[in-house]
Amino acid sequence: MADTPLYVGIDLGTTNSAAAVFDGERVSVIRNTQGATVTPSVVRIDKQGRITVGTRARRFLEQDTPNTAAEFKRLMGTGKAIEFPAAGVAKKPEELSAEVLKALKQDITDQLGVTVERAVISVPALFELPQSAATSEAARLAGFSRVELLQEPIASALAAGWRADDDGGGTWLVFDLGGGTFDASLLETRDGLLRVVGHDGDNFLGGRDFDWAITEHLAAQLPVVPRRNTPEHGPALRALRLAAEEAKIELSRGERAQVTLAQPLSLEGEEIDVDLEVTRATVESLCAPLVDRAIEVCLRLLSAHGLGPGRLAKIVLVGGPTVMPLVRQRVAARLEAPVAEGHDPMTLVAQGAALYAATASLDGRAASVAVPAGRQVWLQYPAVSADLTPHVVGKFVGDHPPATLRLVRSDGGWSSPEVSIAPDGTFLTTVTLLPRRACTFQLEARATSGELVAVTPASLTIVQGLTIGDPPLSRTLGVALASNHVQVYLERGAPLPARRTFTHHTVETVAKGSSESVLKIPIVQGEMTRADLCRLVGTLDIGGDAVKDTVPTGSAVEVTIELDRGGRLSARALIPSIGQVFEHVAHLLVPDAAPAALDAALGELRRQLMDLRSDAFRHGLSQVIERLDRVEARLAEAERDIDAAHGGDADAAQRARRALLDVDATMAEADLARKWPELEDQARQTAISASSMVGMYGTEAEGALLQEVLAAMEKARRDKDAAELERQLRLAQRLSSAAFNRTSEAWELYFEDAASEISRTRDLPRAHALVTEGKSALERGDTEELRRVVKALWQLLPEDSEARKKGFDSGVR
Amino acid sequence: MSAFGSALDENPFYVLGLSPDASRIELEREAQKLLGMLELGFAGATTYATPLGPRTRTPELVRAAVAALRDPYRRLVAELWARHAPPATLESTPTAAPAEATQPGLRRRLGWSP
Repeated sequence: MADTPLYVGIDLGTTNSAAAVFDGERVSVIRNTQGATVTPSVVRIDKQGRITVGTRARRFLEQDTPNTAAEFKRLMGTGKAIEFPAAGVAKKPEELSAEVLKALKQDITDQLGVTVERAVISVPALFELPQSAATSEAARLAGFSRVELLQEPIASALAAGWRADDDGGGTWLVFDLGGGTFDASLLETRDGLLRVVGHDGDNFLGGRDFDWAITEHLAAQLPVVPRRNTPEHGPALRALRLAAEEAKIELSRGERAQVTLAQPLSLEGEEIDVDLEVTRATVESLCAPLVDRAIEVCLRLLSAHGLGPGRLAKIVLVGGPTVMPLVRQRVAARLEAPVAEGHDPMTLVAQGAALYAATASLDGRAASVAVPAGRQVWLQYPAVSADLTPHVVGKFVGDHPPATLRLVRSDGGWSSPEVSIAPDGTFLTTVTLLPRRACTFQLEARATSGELVAVTPASLTIVQGLTIGDPPLSRTLGVALASNHVQVYLERGAPLPARRTFTHHTVETVAKGSSESVLKIPIVQGEMTRADLCRLVGTLDIGGDAVKDTVPTGSAVEVTIELDRGGRLSARALIPSIGQVFEHVAHLLVPDAAPAALDAALGELRRQLMDLRSDAFRHGLSQVIERLDRVEARLAEAERDIDAAHGGDADAAQRARRALLDVDATMAEADLARKWPELEDQARQTAISASSMVGMYGTEAEGALLQEVLAAMEKARRDKDAAELERQLRLAQRLSSAAFNRTSEAWELYFEDAASEISRTRDLPRAHALVTEGKSALERGDTEELRRVVKALWQLLPEDSEARKKGFDSGVR
Repeated sequence: MSAFGSALDENPFYVLGLSPDASRIELEREAQKLLGMLELGFAGATTYATPLGPRTRTPELVRAAVAALRDPYRRLVAELWARHAPPATLESTPTAAPAEATQPGLRRRLGWSP
């Protein structure tokens, strides 16, 4: 084992966690001290300050609720501390997650005798950046020196596809129903490469909803019904919920389960004994609507990719709740596809994370301090390769490298030709792998004299198997502008790591020395073009007290946003005029969700919903009405969560906050659909204008692309899909602009327009000077100069203050 | 981000130095090689040719290129651009599209409602 890399994957789940390792040949799930493959994500701290994790802690959830924490993953990134009154300590969610990670790390050491410090940890596909950052922090606290984060659906897909014999594969679906979230991923395996075709999900649907449905059913049978909005009823509800969860698991096998609590419940001064019976049929009828909701998401995903039921090669089920026979039967029946057998839904994510660690060359073993023997060589090769003949690229360190190199496969069945090493020590060669095997190659370097030269490392190992590309970004990332638009930096699906720089211009002056003068650069995540409908994930603040010199309005700011493979965000703003760089990203926290604010937001959304609904009826927009029905159901759920938030449930408050944000975005789309007649008219005009512009000034490629865009516009118009029509319309406008911008007339027109607006500029003398320069350029026919002038004039025009407020007070355009 | 401004400069086929006929496995192999070469500072790997002249190749561009070409639709668009490369122009830097940058009045006059 010592010479073989060990790749570690961890599924840090809401309810349960698991770890797995991959040695290049085999994936093994790690067992904890109790011999189980899953460890409950529960932490208890007793009055002596002793920390217990897993099954032992879970036993105290009912008996010692105040000192036992569960489901803290949902609070990751909120910064909200969880109190342990007996020990008198408070721990952040990431500190509690770190305890779970430490326990799993120790289990690996106990089972394999290897200390690990690098791993891949899975996170939900729709985790926001602050939540990802908190997960990385948890790993650091647990003693991991390096981790990469991987989206859960990709992990399960990789594990499910790893040993797939059918390389022809076709399209398949991963149905991942976790404790609190549901993810559906459409995948395709071809030529040994796994591709995520599409993804959809419901961030508010999971096994805990099943548990609550059963809990409420049980609660309704008690003489005093405990309520979620009453803090005093909390202990009784928790006890019932644990019993409900156990009954649900029992009913996966049996037809009836007895719900009996060892201690009577204390409700409104009464001691109530609980001894109830629940049948599988009852539980199935309670859970069926929730399963159907997940299936609807799958159907929507299939339809978005032009597929219907019956078109899938297989379905892979992931997550504890999918063990329920109801889920299995209903999903297979409605999606008309077989459920893949032989996968453990509880550990599949951890297994996939371990496989991914190999793809990312992340050997989990603690680095040993070895003295290099012989010439050191840096090597670049894929640790896992779908390709049977991948490249190996290398460079010898230091002067006078060896003359040649040969790679010899350790089974003796193949060796490379001798390749020459360049004078700078570099070389490039290919190796031949055995299908579905881990192959080790010895490095044989020779001096000009033909003598063997010892090299470090002396060998390299490549596993042939299914690979997946770089992890894709789950949500589009950008900067909110003062116009309340979003400048997209990294599109959803962009491979990580990624980095992008754009130049913005300030919309107000940052006065040197003034602590009140702060330039905000809000960083947002989301798919909407309006900034206020996206989520604020961080802000770069440039304060007057930090700048070396005053930064006037219109100054250039070069903003660079960078995400590493694990999705960790860093941002940098360079102001060239003063030569200063600002790097501190503030407020990287999930915003707080106060129940009163949630109430107000809910009320406002309900009002908007009524308006939209009556409008949609009036115009007979059936798709909009359907969408608004979904919104209504979501609002009802959010209301229940807000109720629970009033009862002190911080997790429910966060759920409600996210649900309201999602509803807000859905309503914005519905609102767009309401303006359908105007949009349709605009689409017609754009089509005419773009065809003429591209026809006159466009290139052949632009012409071909416009035809595609126009066809897509026509399809969106037929489907009455307002969001898609608007998207295609913008593409047509961009194509049209790209063509038109090549002409001098374009800049003359822009100049005329900008010059007519100079009374609105903040710096009138400068604007006048620019207009004079522009007129002179116009007379000379100097288009390049005219373009510069127009751009400078645009920078002087003010932004709408209302829009700016909505755009998180952005100070840039 | 201008999708069209970078259609030539950052066309995935130019970034990877391959023809639009390259097979999927060739793309992956070439990307893996280039990433390794860039990591180790191979001099020849840092630039690539485009109809607009040489451009700087970065690991980010290579990753983005291979990710784009894995998607059949995006590959089709990239092929289209690479096969119908327009003649070189004086435009060496992408310009902001007026649809985003100009004022509503102008957009109306161009036939785009506000």
